[in-house]
Parts: sequence; structure tokens; C-alpha cells
Amino acid sequence: MTTTIAEQEVALIDLLDRLLAGGVVIAGDITLAAADVDLVYVSLRALISSVATAEEREILPRLGSAL
Amino acid sequence: MIDLYAITDDPTPPLPDVAGLSAVASHGLAIVCAPVASEGGELTPEVLWRHEEVVEALMEDRDLLPVRFGTRVEDETAAARALGERHRELARALDRVRGAVELSVRVMGDGPESPPPAEGASGAGYLRAKVRSAAAHEEVVRMVHDPLTANARASTQLGTTAPAELLRGAYLVERGRVNAFVDHVSRLQAAHPELRLLCTGPWPPYSFTES
Amino acid sequence: MRDKFLHAPPDLDPFATERPRLDDALSRRVNADPERLERGLAQLVLTVVELLRQLMERQALRRIDGGGLSEEEVERLGRTFMELDKRMEQLRTEFGLDAEDLNLNLGPLGNLL
Repeated sequence: MTTTIAEQEVALIDLLDRLLAGGVVIAGDITLAAADVDLVYVSLRALISSVATAEEREILPRLGSAL
Repeated sequence: MIDLYAITDDPTPPLPDVAGLSAVASHGLAIVCAPVASEGGELTPEVLWRHEEVVEALMEDRDLLPVRFGTRVEDETAAARALGERHRELARALDRVRGAVELSVRVMGDGPESPPPAEGASGAGYLRAKVRSAAAHEEVVRMVHDPLTANARASTQLGTTAPAELLRGAYLVERGRVNAFVDHVSRLQAAHPELRLLCTGPWPPYSFTES
Repeated sequence: MRDKFLHAPPDLDPFATERPRLDDALSRRVNADPERLERGLAQLVLTVVELLRQLMERQALRRIDGGGLSEEEVERLGRTFMELDKRMEQLRTEFGLDAEDLNLNLGPLGNLL
């Protein structure tokens, strides 16, 4: 079944949104790009959870919603 | 080295007879994997689609959590260990997607994209254009995303960098309700001829694996 | 592949919005190439700058929505952001990055931008 170029590109965009940006992120010996991200994710998670704890304990004022 | 494809908890259906697939069990879950096809090959659409076909073949017979493409571990022991480390969280995530698939809906506006502000355009004009575009996005969320969310188990918006795109949504829909959902998309399209709706799927629930 | 289209308009071209950049996606391997390392660092830095730029723009839009800014202030703010936008584009071009590159994927946290 032949598909047009447009169909292929559009389907690929939807696929990439999922395959490369979604799915379970599991510890693994993944290539550098993902490994880079893994490091960022791990340290951000630690940062965010420590901020959340600090807010709860009222050590930090609640952050405004710049986002 | 082995590639990881998906996480499931239903061992009974046999694995598709593809590419040396095997299932490694740990803590009531199983992770489906296969030896790496070729080391350091070129990443092409074909490679991605082949991987996707394996996950979708698995999805035909069972519920699963797809693993992000490119995840590799040393061997099956390592796979079991990775699974074991997060098995409670993964079991919960699997429950959340049980019996459901993911559908994608993208919305484009009609007419030409708003051109970027020309040289010498006013600062106020630049900001006004931004306000208009944010408002257009919010309107589409209200007109399309919200009604579709009401017809799905869960939904999320994927970040979009495409300039003229008004919505990039992902919806977790019961397997048996996919047709009804698509009908709903058609009705929304008919109701809003100024928009263009594109619905693709079903996909494995990539966008719903994390809480 | 075609059977993935559950509902589609007759003209798909508007949806082919970006040429998916596969060459970069997963082929960034450990690599002593200094040019690549520099580009990776620039990417990280520019992503943070882009994040801040977007945050500031959003704040500005909120202020404008809420009223209370003179026309002159709106004009000045707008010009500043236009300049920032242009400068970001120049920086991106200098390092051979495009908009999609400045979007860190944070694993379970989703995309940064």
C-alpha cells in the first residue's frame, strides 16, 4: 500500500512525538543523548522534590506561577 | 546488549515471532526485549517503524507500557533489575492504561500563518500578535481539547513548536470506544470548518506512562 | 502507515510542519569531537536562555492583559522582546541549532519548553 510523502511525514511526526519523547524511561545504558537527559532528569527531580518539601515546611515561600 | 520494547504483566499470550523477542519477569511484571539488531546503525524512519511494529504487535494481545525508543541494557539480568527497581510505580502506571490506547489529535488554523513581525514593526504589534495567538490556542483548547477529554479516560497536551499549530493533544481512550472517539472528532471538524483536525492512532500509550 | 489516519482533512500538507531531525535524535554518541561538545554546551545554555525569554514574555503578556501598562510601556516591552527574539535566532544560527533543539527532554517530566 503506497503512501504519499505527506502521509509519511505526518505519520512520522506523530510517531516521533511518542517514540522519542514518550514511553517509560528506565535506567539503562542508553546512548549519550538520552544519558545526558537522564542526568538532567535525575538532578531536577531531586531539586523539585526538595523545593516542594521546603515549601511544605514553609522554609521557602510558595513560588509564584510564572509558568 | 538488548533493546527494551515494552512492559507488561500478562504472560499468557505468546510473544510475536519476531526478532528474538523474549520476556524477562520480575515482581509480577515482565519486560519484553530483544538482542540489538545492529550496532550503531543509521537511524532512519524504517528503524523507528520496525520498532513500533513490534510494540503494536504486542499491544494486540495485551496491555502494556511502551518503553522509550533507544533504551538498551547489558543483558536480561540488567533488564530484570531495572524493572525491579520501579516495579510498584510501573504496576500502577500499567493499571492506568489498562484496556486503553492512545489517539493523537492535531489542530491547525485555516488561512495563512500569521507572518512574523516585519522589520520596523511596532513592539506593541509584536506583543498583540502574541496575545492573539495565545487566545487562539485557548479557544481551540476550549472547543476541541475539552470535549475530546470528556470522551477519553485521560488527556494531555504535547508541547508544540510548530508555529501555526493550535493544538497537539494526546488522548487515552478505551479500546472499544475508539470509533466513538473518532466520530466525535468528525463532528467537531464539521462544527468548526475554520479549523483542520487530524486524528491518528491507535498508538501504544506513550504519553501516559508517567504520573 | 496509512491506516494510522483515523480522521484527516484532504490536504495533509499543513500538518507536515517540521522535517523530523532524525540525524541528531539518537546519534549523539560519546564523542571526543570538540565541535560537537561545544555545540552541546551551547545547546544547553541557549535552552536555559530560551526558557527565561519565554517566561518573561508570558509575564509581560499577563501584565498587558491585566491592564495597567501605558501604551508607551507596552511599546517598549514589545521592542525589547522583538530584539531578544532576533538575537536568539542569530545565536541559534551561529551554533547551527534550530528551535526544536532548544527543547530539553526531561524524561518523565516531559519537555522543558
